[in-house]
Amino acid sequence: MARILWLAVAAALLPAAAMPGCAQKLPIDEGRLVIALPGTPVSLDPRLATDAYGEQLLQMTHASLVRLDAAGNPVPELAAAWETPDPMTYVFTLRPGATFHDGRPLTSADARDTFSWILDPANRSPHRATYRHIVKIETPDARTVVFRLSEPFAPFLSTMVRGIVPSGSRAGGYTPPAGAGPYRIDDVSPDGEATLSAFDRCVGGPPGIRAVTVKFIPDSNVRFLELKMGSVNFTLNGVDPDMLPAVERTERLAVEEAPGGNVSYLGFNLRDRALSDPRVRRAIALAIDRDAIVRTIWKGRADVVDSILPAGSWAHEPDLPTLLFDPAQARRLLDEAGFRDGDGAGPLPRLRLTYKTSQNEVRRRVATVIQEQLRQVGILVEIQSLEWGTFYSDVKKGNFQLYGLTWVGIFDPDIYYHAFHSASMPPDGANRGGYANARVDRLTEEARRETSREKRRAMYREVQRILARDLPVFPLWAGRNLLVRDRRLQGFALTPDESYAPVRGMRIAR
Amino acid sequence: MRGYLRRRLLHVVPVAFGVVTVVFFLLHLLPGDPVEIMLGESAVPALKEELRRELHLDRPVHVQYAEFLAGLPRGDLGVSFRSREPVAREIARRFPATLLLASASIAVAILVALPLGVLAATRKGKAADYLSGAAAMLSLSIPNFLLGPLLVLVFSVQLGLLPVSGYGTARHLVLPAATLGTGMAALMMRMIRATLLEELRKEYVTAATARGLSHRAAVALHALRNALVPVATVLGLSFGAVLAGSVIAETIFSWPGIGRLLIQAIDARDYPLVQGCVLVIALCTVLVNLATDLLCARLDPRIRYE
Repeated sequence: MARILWLAVAAALLPAAAMPGCAQKLPIDEGRLVIALPGTPVSLDPRLATDAYGEQLLQMTHASLVRLDAAGNPVPELAAAWETPDPMTYVFTLRPGATFHDGRPLTSADARDTFSWILDPANRSPHRATYRHIVKIETPDARTVVFRLSEPFAPFLSTMVRGIVPSGSRAGGYTPPAGAGPYRIDDVSPDGEATLSAFDRCVGGPPGIRAVTVKFIPDSNVRFLELKMGSVNFTLNGVDPDMLPAVERTERLAVEEAPGGNVSYLGFNLRDRALSDPRVRRAIALAIDRDAIVRTIWKGRADVVDSILPAGSWAHEPDLPTLLFDPAQARRLLDEAGFRDGDGAGPLPRLRLTYKTSQNEVRRRVATVIQEQLRQVGILVEIQSLEWGTFYSDVKKGNFQLYGLTWVGIFDPDIYYHAFHSASMPPDGANRGGYANARVDRLTEEARRETSREKRRAMYREVQRILARDLPVFPLWAGRNLLVRDRRLQGFALTPDESYAPVRGMRIAR
Repeated sequence: MRGYLRRRLLHVVPVAFGVVTVVFFLLHLLPGDPVEIMLGESAVPALKEELRRELHLDRPVHVQYAEFLAGLPRGDLGVSFRSREPVAREIARRFPATLLLASASIAVAILVALPLGVLAATRKGKAADYLSGAAAMLSLSIPNFLLGPLLVLVFSVQLGLLPVSGYGTARHLVLPAATLGTGMAALMMRMIRATLLEELRKEYVTAATARGLSHRAAVALHALRNALVPVATVLGLSFGAVLAGSVIAETIFSWPGIGRLLIQAIDARDYPLVQGCVLVIALCTVLVNLATDLLCARLDPRIRYE
């Protein structure tokens, strides 16, 4: 019997013993960049993709008329230049010689047809609402495309970041339409990986690294281990802050960080009797020690913010008053608002609230700390950690008192219309707390029609000052963008919006 | 036998009907709107209504249910909300990977459980029995989400023998299959030990050895065969659990299977895709159990299916 056992064990171990060991060459030794994305793209068609991972992959493969720089300013990409003869007309001139991956020349007709396809109701593009102001697209010649709008819409230029695809491209599926970006997609396996190769005829010159693999790895531990092994050599925001000390101990790896554009905030339901009082909202804000949370949970890898617009944005108001942690002042404000502490240090709370959050581990830990900090000023918080679909549905319906969420990659200040105008309450927008302020309404309406950048900036700065006073939401922190890469990979410029476009400028040092 | 097979195959119909009915209505009870998730918040209400109409989500739930059922006999599982691909095609892309993983983990379980279970039974009360018992308890106590990373640490990071994650070669299969198969192996091992001990006490084993057959031959040729009948039944029942449990292994090892697809579909409230995935998993479980019953008849000729 023992012989049978040994035979079985040997049979089980034989394949492993026969496998090549650790002497294998790493991908970087063969000139391959291997990126780990924390999730799988849902769509690789720029006309349909809305998910972050899809958009990030497309930033490497598809070129758009313009792209946004670190401050959110439009800069040329396929368009060499543009002009606005009147606030409702945008004229783009394409660069000469632009070509798609399949060799077809990129013309104004392709730009027109990309947006016409999105606007066609039959195609059910999720981006149709973004371009609803377009009433006509003209192509007077092969290099000129003219967009005519129904009304002045200042954020229009920053919406022209959608990848252009060849006219007549079939939609959706796992065979993405050709692009004109620095990399072409050679192969995609759903939930597996995508392999890309350099496209030498792209606008702006050939990319530095010839071969790229993008692996879709949902588990953060596995991403870390792949990095440690060298089978992955690049990940942007793919390693949890807890694991960074271990990454830093790995000689082959380097960590870079830069301010990020994803702003977390605490949302209040202003329809709630207690939370409708600005003193209660301010008391809650004063009772939360954001610095301590950033230090302990984010390991210092986040920046405390006072506005939902990231600090790098051109419209950001730099002189907002910072609400510093002050529990004594919080208690005084709660007393003033009528929520007195009847039994002193006794168990009875001044106020009971529920806090809704997703099931993300970091968000749950943040919720627990906030719960404890609010308990110190007499506010008893019940945490409800919900599955994403349920959580998001509750937030949309206004079925909450407090909730924690993050605005991802917001650089255009038109977000203030979407999130705080009284006409933007769900289902018409994201004013989930039910905030209404006539001055904010007027400023956000005028600012989206105003084409002067200076005037828009002044209006949005005033909006930010009003919101800092009224606190319909309490901005918490902006997570820093963390890049973990092999030391030999050089030339990637981190941007606040987690853009993968700078991959084209990378090279592998000898 | 043929009549039995026909009857059992016909049983698949009410099971499938029950599964799709329960899943359909439970999904519609869940909070979360697929249109909101697809279009995002910035979409205007008219656009959302338009999409809701196109996806037939504006119709009463019972009408949607009837439409879904009408497509089933044609093999039409609908079109995925998120990818716009036919659900059947989406599943066909992922299912081979899950089937491969499930089969490999069952192979691992059999390969480990059979010799260790026999060893524990034939050496009852000795060191080998206690050691295998302790190993089984340990395996059953470690959840898959912990075992997977532990195996990666040892076999990938420390020894450099196997890749951390991915799909495509036999080397990629070893760790996920071991993760899924270990718990099942422990269960099977204890079961083989118990059933074999019971068989070894029976008179036919004594008679066989009295006729001059060696103890080893009596175990291998007679007792083990009878001991495997209940084990095969448990193996069949475990297949469904392996398919369901593959979600964790697929996530840990970035395995492109149906488990990960199902999770993504639930997150996106992609009703047709969720229904399709659950239906396929249920059908597989039923068919594997049928195959197990037939295997039992082969193992034990006393079992007759009429």
